[in-house]
Amino acid sequence: MTPSTPDQSPRFIPAVRLNLQLPTDQLEQFFPLFQRGVTVPATIGCSLKNLLCHQLAIPEEYVSERITTVFCDNCPVDDFEKTIIRNGSRIALSAAMPGLVGATMRRGGYYAALRQGISHLMQTAPAVVEDGSVTLKLFNLLMTELGPNLLAHGILLKTEELLVLRQGIPELKYNLGADTDQDQTLLAVSFLE
Amino acid sequence: MKIARIDFGAAGGPQVTYGPLGEYAGLGGRAMTSLMVATEVHPLAHALGAENKLVIAPGMLSGTTGSMSGRLSVGCKSPLTGTIKESNAGGQAAQVLARLGYAAVVLEGKPLGNDLYKIVINKDGIQVIVDNSLKLLDNYPLVAKLRTEYGDKVAYMTIGSAGERMLLAASIACTDPELRPTRHCGRGGVGAVMGSKHVKAIIIDDAGAKMRPPKDPDAFRDANRKFVEGLRKHPVTGEGLPAYGTNVLTNILNEAGGYPTKNFKSGTYEGSSKLSGEAQAELEIKRGGKATHGCHRGCVIQCSGIYNDKDGNYLTKQPEYETTWAHGGNCGIDDLDTVAMLDYMDDNIGVDTMEMGVTIGVAMDAGLIEFGDKEGAIRLVEEVGKGTPLGRVLGCGATVTGKVFAVERVPAVKDQAMAAYDPRAVQGIGVTYATTTQGADHTAGYAVATNILKVGGDVDPLKTAGQIELSRNLQIATAAIDSTGMCLFIAFAIMDQPETFQALLDMLGSFYGITMTGDDVVALGKKVLSAERDFNTRAGFTKHHDRLPRFFYNEAIAPHNQTFLMKDEELDDVFNW
Ligand code: SF4
Repeated sequence: MTPSTPDQSPRFIPAVRLNLQLPTDQLEQFFPLFQRGVTVPATIGCSLKNLLCHQLAIPEEYVSERITTVFCDNCPVDDFEKTIIRNGSRIALSAAMPGLVGATMRRGGYYAALRQGISHLMQTAPAVVEDGSVTLKLFNLLMTELGPNLLAHGILLKTEELLVLRQGIPELKYNLGADTDQDQTLLAVSFLE
Repeated sequence: MKIARIDFGAAGGPQVTYGPLGEYAGLGGRAMTSLMVATEVHPLAHALGAENKLVIAPGMLSGTTGSMSGRLSVGCKSPLTGTIKESNAGGQAAQVLARLGYAAVVLEGKPLGNDLYKIVINKDGIQVIVDNSLKLLDNYPLVAKLRTEYGDKVAYMTIGSAGERMLLAASIACTDPELRPTRHCGRGGVGAVMGSKHVKAIIIDDAGAKMRPPKDPDAFRDANRKFVEGLRKHPVTGEGLPAYGTNVLTNILNEAGGYPTKNFKSGTYEGSSKLSGEAQAELEIKRGGKATHGCHRGCVIQCSGIYNDKDGNYLTKQPEYETTWAHGGNCGIDDLDTVAMLDYMDDNIGVDTMEMGVTIGVAMDAGLIEFGDKEGAIRLVEEVGKGTPLGRVLGCGATVTGKVFAVERVPAVKDQAMAAYDPRAVQGIGVTYATTTQGADHTAGYAVATNILKVGGDVDPLKTAGQIELSRNLQIATAAIDSTGMCLFIAFAIMDQPETFQALLDMLGSFYGITMTGDDVVALGKKVLSAERDFNTRAGFTKHHDRLPRFFYNEAIAPHNQTFLMKDEELDDVFNW
């Protein structure tokens, strides 16, 4: 089952782009945002695997071994290749989870039948490939492990999100100055070793 | 190993007898409690009367050097559900009791008069002592008082004021390695049964006792090493659980649309990320608490933690996922400090955190307080601690509260509150909620290695019928693991890693000097479940009790807009083996 998602997400990358280099310990400032979900510019109409491995440059082995719990629009995903991302898709990524429900939600897991009715329907029909954006959530161990990939790719932030973020990140305060008028900023971050 | 029985109804006061294991030889944990209750307790007995028995049993491997083997099972006829009940907890008690050579300690009969007892168990035997100075003490001050007399090298099992008042949600607390009464046999009102025997505390002192020796020490050591290696290398038991605890599930259930919100009205909660295990662990570390902590010595997973208040002082142990949900999202409360305070209060008063959280949600639906009212929720739990008439109603759980306040939406099966998974989103869990022998219980069908065990043969998990078969197989396997004394969180590692499952079988085999196979585990699980089902049947339970409340069939839940779809005939098929 796939609940519909309103297609209101931005299709174009805004003009304002901010590149930052931060100390590694600043990564955790992004954790609340990762859990609530960040908007990420993406090529849509392609597979989730394409988004993860090619657009976000996550190694294929990591994707198949480590990202064992995946949701698209609240539906547990079983197959990366047969999940086509649309404009505004909400995707959540997690490591393996405990408990029966953890096992039930696991991608392609033995207990998948227990969540019958909400599993993400696999798609094979071709879709139009174009620019757009998706909402990406990172949970638990993946916040630390995939956060840098996501931030290197760039995330679209609304003014209020930027304002919250800059309270904990001095470098952002300095770089942003008072210029927070624009609706969206594309923030790209690399981390110092 | 021996069985001790304490007859509280004996002429002249409580009488202790010791006997061999007899027909219960080779049993431990849930197998011991359930088979004994099914055999010895009249199924129509009043749960708080003289005919009921409280059976306290360490697991089959408790008291050994085996890792993760410290679960303690407590069994009786449940005053909450009227069914047979096994409730288990971590803490130090199981290890200490087993090292003293007890396979079970059974509290029987009912004392005359109002005296309150404490039981002291040590290498010299069992003493039952009147101590009315303990009356109406809650768990934290009670343990503090007992420590002045019995010290810090013992394990304590206690009931708070809720148990003494025989409230149906009352729990039995077991102390952790730091001697805090944080590990509870919570479900089913087992604390009320202990209260009905007038037993306030059990002090277990293993000074002078040795670890239980395996029949084949070398093979046991080798198997335990492999078992620990398996737990350490698995991402769930080696990384996820130690880092975030069970509350790591908040974000996942919310994302799946299966996070029951505001008394099961929605499957997602906007405040979930504030309650998540990730947020909780960060806060714990920031305040000088711990995000990784074991509930008993010998736990290598360490899914627990220490939650400090804003000033950095100990407040409670890390609230588990079910607690954080029950007092959090289920009540529209998105504040971890409030949840932690309620967790502390529940532990102190001695009530099941899940039953209390669901009860407060029902009370909110009744209009006693608003959803999201943090102070109001604390006030209601305070009423339980004070034993006011309202507090007594609330302390008797969600079903009683729903009846008293005429609330239709009461998420309970066989009068026990559901856990943190909406059965409309995760239908297979609903099958287990409906059919378990224990009342709605999330652990009754845990993610145990049914695939490796091949309980019931190979199941195609993508077929509809798979839900029934999987639930059946899970319940069988869980009953078996509950009997070993192993923490259920080993499930993932033994499910995914056949060599770790083999190591567990080898631990059992080398300890008892037998060859243990997967078939033996299945047979044990079936034996336990059959005894439990038989007891419930004799107690008057029929297939019509194996159903979810009607609102799950009538009210679709967002975001999946789905009702509970399993047919009654399918549910009736779960126990056909
Ligand atoms: S994994 Fe958690 S519940 Fe299990 S024994 Fe360890 S601390 Fe206790």
